[in-house]
Amino acid sequence: MDRALSWLLGGRRPLASHLLLAPAAAWMIVFLVLPAAGLLLLSLAKNGPYGEILWTLSLNNYRRAFDPKYLPVLLRTLGFAGGTTLLTLLLGYPLAYFLSFRAGRWRNAMLIGLMVPFWTSALVAFYSWMIILGKEGLLNAALLRFGFISAPISILYTSFSVLLGLVYFYLPFMVLPLYGSLEKIPRQYVEAAYDLGADRWTAFRKVTLPLSLPGVIAGSLLTFVPCLGDFLTAEILGGPRYYLLGNLISNQFLMAQDWPFGAALTCLLLTCLVGGLWLYRRWDDQA
Amino acid sequence: MMMTDATRRDFLKIAVLAPLMPALMAACRRADTRRVVNFYNWSNYIGKDTLPEFTRRAGVSVRYDLFADEEEMFAKIRAGARGYDLVVIGDYLIPRFKSLNLIDAVPSGTLKNMGNLAPRFRRPSYDPDETTIPYLWGTTGIAYNRRKLAKQPSSWWDLWDPKYKDRISMLDNVRDCVAVAMQLLRIPQTTRDPEDFRKVRELLLRQKPLVRQYSSSSYLNSLVAGEIDLAMTWSGDLFQAARDNPDLDYVLPKEGTYMWVDCLAMLRGSRHREDTLRLIDYLLEPEVAGSISNSVRYATPNAKAFPLVEKALRRDPRVYPTPQTMGQLQLHHILDPEQSEMWNQVWADVKVS
Amino acid sequence: MRHGRLLSLYCMALYAFLYLPLGVMAVFSFNDAHRNVVWRGFTFKWYQLLFHDAELLGALLTSLELAAAAAAIAAVLGLLASYALTRHRPFKSREGYGALLDAPLMMPEVALGVGLLSFLVRAGYELDFGALACAHALICLPYTVGAARARLKSMGESHLEEAAMDLGATELTAFLKVTLPLAMPAIVSGCLLAFTVSFEDFVTSFFLAGIGIVTMPIKVYSMMKFGVTPEINALSVLLLVATFGLLALNAALASSRPRRDGCGP
Repeated sequence: MDRALSWLLGGRRPLASHLLLAPAAAWMIVFLVLPAAGLLLLSLAKNGPYGEILWTLSLNNYRRAFDPKYLPVLLRTLGFAGGTTLLTLLLGYPLAYFLSFRAGRWRNAMLIGLMVPFWTSALVAFYSWMIILGKEGLLNAALLRFGFISAPISILYTSFSVLLGLVYFYLPFMVLPLYGSLEKIPRQYVEAAYDLGADRWTAFRKVTLPLSLPGVIAGSLLTFVPCLGDFLTAEILGGPRYYLLGNLISNQFLMAQDWPFGAALTCLLLTCLVGGLWLYRRWDDQA
Repeated sequence: MMMTDATRRDFLKIAVLAPLMPALMAACRRADTRRVVNFYNWSNYIGKDTLPEFTRRAGVSVRYDLFADEEEMFAKIRAGARGYDLVVIGDYLIPRFKSLNLIDAVPSGTLKNMGNLAPRFRRPSYDPDETTIPYLWGTTGIAYNRRKLAKQPSSWWDLWDPKYKDRISMLDNVRDCVAVAMQLLRIPQTTRDPEDFRKVRELLLRQKPLVRQYSSSSYLNSLVAGEIDLAMTWSGDLFQAARDNPDLDYVLPKEGTYMWVDCLAMLRGSRHREDTLRLIDYLLEPEVAGSISNSVRYATPNAKAFPLVEKALRRDPRVYPTPQTMGQLQLHHILDPEQSEMWNQVWADVKVS
Repeated sequence: MRHGRLLSLYCMALYAFLYLPLGVMAVFSFNDAHRNVVWRGFTFKWYQLLFHDAELLGALLTSLELAAAAAAIAAVLGLLASYALTRHRPFKSREGYGALLDAPLMMPEVALGVGLLSFLVRAGYELDFGALACAHALICLPYTVGAARARLKSMGESHLEEAAMDLGATELTAFLKVTLPLAMPAIVSGCLLAFTVSFEDFVTSFFLAGIGIVTMPIKVYSMMKFGVTPEINALSVLLLVATFGLLALNAALASSRPRRDGCGP
């Protein structure tokens, strides 16, 4: 038993690696790859008159997906996902830095404190944001009180409220990987930079920041990718002008009941993302 | 963070047990063998004592699951979720449920309370062979905030009025939006003329810049919170929302409007047919149907139950329209596949652009 | 130090942003309205109702069990997989495995729900708690893998296990006595993320919940149309209080124990 496990962990043979990866990979295959293969097949089918599936295979659904009318949806989605990623990065980096270098005995409490707000239902959080941002809400009341505005302004159902919702929900997914990579930086490196006469800013720029890049990339992926498929935020905090890719896809399954087309859109999105990630990993492992 | 001294045995135990956990938990939850009916319904869509009373009388317990969105419910059942015996579905979904073979006909001849239904709800156009049983009904109209609007809206055109820009919400629903646009353009719902659909699209796109939300549920919060002042809505939904904002009111537009009927349908493959039929028959009893209408503020199609509805509700023309208005109400036209496709296309274009 | 003060102030502001909706939520748990978007007066009634609402408490229990099961599965599978990915000699198709393990992140939720449900139905599997837990473990896996992977990779560069083995330990002993304790913070934070993801998930749960299985998000979303009542706020508040209570207890216990260090590199 001991020797067998040691052999597995030692990993001098590819077989050991495959065996160790087998449970997770099997999980992925059963619960993700096979259902996704079903969707791939479905994307080649045709939607029948009452939403029944007609198995006359063709690439028609893919041709429809490249209709220029969907281009604004795609661009808008990329814009929101990119904006969210950038904002969470800018907002989250100083926090991750603080957690790693300054927080001391508060660190654990702060780390958990980052997750706790999300242990309530997202819908309740959305409601609270509506109470804060509404025309008769707290923010408008405060702005009126201090004379910044003379009449209530619309904050809900604008690009601002969508972005705010996305940043709120994805911030921890940015901060935790950032913290993880900052935590790995040997403190001597930074001290060495000081010893060599670097000031705080130079030390940060030349040592800490470059060494935390893996965290930046990991956090950005964890934010950007789920943002592309997010539909609840835009549905609840966004108005009619903020129809995103996630809404387009889920509407094919729910409202339009055009499953083959929804499946085709899903397959396209998955292909782009998995392909992109695979390329990134190759590059990352070689670098 | 927390550090534990994981011993080898602990680790192995966890490694072996963790993947088995769901199976163990499932084993603990084995369903009991009592008589049961699985009922899938909207939340807030039944009286508080309706089901406990049935259990007391018939000795059959009811497992009651809730959905918040008809489309999600349809997608779930369509994808193959089985086991529900009874489900509440809107009239416009019935032809789709039927053509996808998702429901079994309720043998209405065996229901002793079938005759309680008002004649108007027998053999309706959406379900001529009475596969399903009408449960509650309502109308599509305009909700508005009395305090915020100078004058009461009276026409669908008010939803196109630029002075209400950013204060309007529309139901996120093909049937209602396209039907209203057609009504305003005086186009019959039977049309197949692409030119007609171009006009409908144009009218809806003209409205889009004024619209704050396309929504079938969360707009009710916006109404209550004063975020929007004017909304296309379903009657009973608004009355429930008005409990938290007494300024909200409901009006049927002068052009006339649509009524809809939510129906009880028996899902294919039901394993509890006898008891499901017993439950349907129970829900058709006058006292039961009347108390449901009282507590949810929707109209009951049950003629024998009508006298048992609270007087205030019964006399409220917004819930039970006057005979004259009743004459103007129509059911949605049942679309054939080709028309349905054209309607969907228009709506998809409006949403995407 | 002005610098440090500024940074602390900034972090406090950011936490205020994160906790602002929670504060509003707590205040509105005393709101005397059905639809919790406008203030209509003060009441305790939602807390009283809550303690008699077996349905809601049942939903909470289901969600907690589900999140615990999913996080546990994802943690074990994720640890094994990320160990092989980071500590083994590079092997063919390693990037392939990596991309595969990240794939659940990319699947739009509704597509995953519909796809998985259709697949399980076709496979003749009756939906139960197990199916739901397996699906949740799937969406949690990328988070546990991600956390463990980063940690294990950096630990590999410090050659600590090799030192242990030079001193005569087997690979297994080195793993249990060196790797596992050192990786524990990452495993715990991966578990926390996984727990959060599962606890919050609505879409996948909605599609895969069998009859009578109601999680908190399913329960709350079903109230969407007719108003999420302050009872949900009350429950969330109690949950937060309990969480913070447990954390404080844990901190108190930890500080009474002699501190053992060595988890930092």
